[in-house]
Amino acid sequence: MSRSAHEWTARPRLQDDEFVSSTVYTHPGIFELEQERIKRATWKFACHESELPTRFDFRTVEHAGYPIVLVRTEEGGIRAFINSCSHRAATVVRAPRGNAEQWRCLFHAWTYDTRGRCIAMPRASGYEQAGLCKDGMGLREVKVGIKLGMIFINLNDEGSPFDEYFGDAFEILEDVMGTKELEVFHLHKTVINANWKQWFETNMEIYHEYLHFLNRNIAMSNDEFYERRWKIYPNCHGTLTPMKQRYERVKGLGRRDERTLPGLTPGEFRVVDLFPDTTILCRATVLRIDTSNAISPNQTLVEQRGLGIKGESAEDRLIRINHHNQFWGPFGRNLPEDVVAVEAVEKSNRCGASRYGIMARHDEMKSLDDALMRAFYKEWSEYMGRPASNPLGALPGETNAANR
Amino acid sequence: MPLTDNQIGALIYRSGLFMDEENFDGFMQLCASDFRYQITAYSPELGKEMIWLNLDREGMEHLLKNIPNHVRLPGSFLRNLNVYLMEPQQANGDVHVTSSLLVIHTDLEGASRLYAAGMYIDDVVLSSGSPQLKSRTVKLATRQLGPGSHVPL
Ligand SMILES: [Fe+2]
Repeated sequence: MSRSAHEWTARPRLQDDEFVSSTVYTHPGIFELEQERIKRATWKFACHESELPTRFDFRTVEHAGYPIVLVRTEEGGIRAFINSCSHRAATVVRAPRGNAEQWRCLFHAWTYDTRGRCIAMPRASGYEQAGLCKDGMGLREVKVGIKLGMIFINLNDEGSPFDEYFGDAFEILEDVMGTKELEVFHLHKTVINANWKQWFETNMEIYHEYLHFLNRNIAMSNDEFYERRWKIYPNCHGTLTPMKQRYERVKGLGRRDERTLPGLTPGEFRVVDLFPDTTILCRATVLRIDTSNAISPNQTLVEQRGLGIKGESAEDRLIRINHHNQFWGPFGRNLPEDVVAVEAVEKSNRCGASRYGIMARHDEMKSLDDALMRAFYKEWSEYMGRPASNPLGALPGETNAANR
Repeated sequence: MPLTDNQIGALIYRSGLFMDEENFDGFMQLCASDFRYQITAYSPELGKEMIWLNLDREGMEHLLKNIPNHVRLPGSFLRNLNVYLMEPQQANGDVHVTSSLLVIHTDLEGASRLYAAGMYIDDVVLSSGSPQLKSRTVKLATRQLGPGSHVPL
């Protein structure tokens, strides 16, 4: 039966964690609070070590609206800074990558070294009267953690230590990413018209595999697909039991028996989700790291990398690239479908044409269970200090707007 | 007899038209038996050329045949082409053709916007009297492709 306006607006007759208010995706105040309390307070995947292999190599990225520069230090480690001049805020390092021992701001030539120290300001004597000198004018350093070649940053100096935050979440990636050195060969960054959490949800629930022609054929056609179980780690990272996928069931995909990444058996698929917005996926021969930057409630810069083995032959690399492109990348068969789906969700949510998102599937933690999404929104609610089922009820100065 | 500029131009423009019309059989008929298709883009972040699609003739046929099975970006593409250079190759009589490409997407509401800009780098051969595409490389300037596309450019 269809529902009346009253029935449709009413809180679903579900447990608090079995649905979320659509305002978690659309409300500007919620968005700003997320940037502050979640994005700028937790560990964020920034880039892969292969993107800055040599000392003094740098990469610039963006995180929660902040420009960030990462650098390979003289000693071989990685440092990160907010990439904004201490003087008048101009972006200091403007190229996406490069190699430099010093960074000179284009605006007034204040200059920094790769330890973030301000080492030159033209005609510095003019600041003497004000009592300002280079010493106190370094760049703001950002904490760095490295795991299996992946570089993470954290804007929160007081946040949980890297190892504690991730715990054992990388355990099924140790062999894949920790045996041979990997290298990024693909990077696609693009803006999609959807909320950043909607994008992450496509990696946290696989009930939506009905959307994908390839997945219906190579994965959902096996009983094993449904029997896998979610494992949820402390701090809401999650993974699913690995499975073998049957690529040969779609003509033209070929097989994935050879050139599998270390630790992976033929056709093996693994996925690891890291709170709040990063996913690592392995499809036997190739690995993808997926992350995003929230631009506004309904705009997200998604960032996807494809990785192969560093130093492999050109022939092997090309096969890996081809495997990557069958599913992923802008001309892959899978990722465009996910984008079309989440943009369709955003279109309804935008002006309140949908009030709630349902996450009420229970299946003993098996693959079609919404357990990881429920865990995600429980964690989200704790960071945000308000329930995802009714987040506006408690915003200062606002009445309960869930029924706007 | 060598290929004339008119024949080559007609081949390039027709290849764009067939793709716009999603007449994939028509497109494949313009391609040689050893046809190769690639889409590439340079990543300034990685400092590397990226290959975003790399197919032989059979791979291209599988991919085109499966397009109706996919959920894809609604709307249509229009390819605006300009042939810049036709350079006969001394060694084998092939002609190396360089064209500019603008792909315009029109959504279901009728709104058009530029989807991608790039170049076609084609090799054209003479095969039983008519010119055919031996290879096409789409060198993209555009790297942000929104939802991406199931249809090659
Ligand atoms: Fe998906």
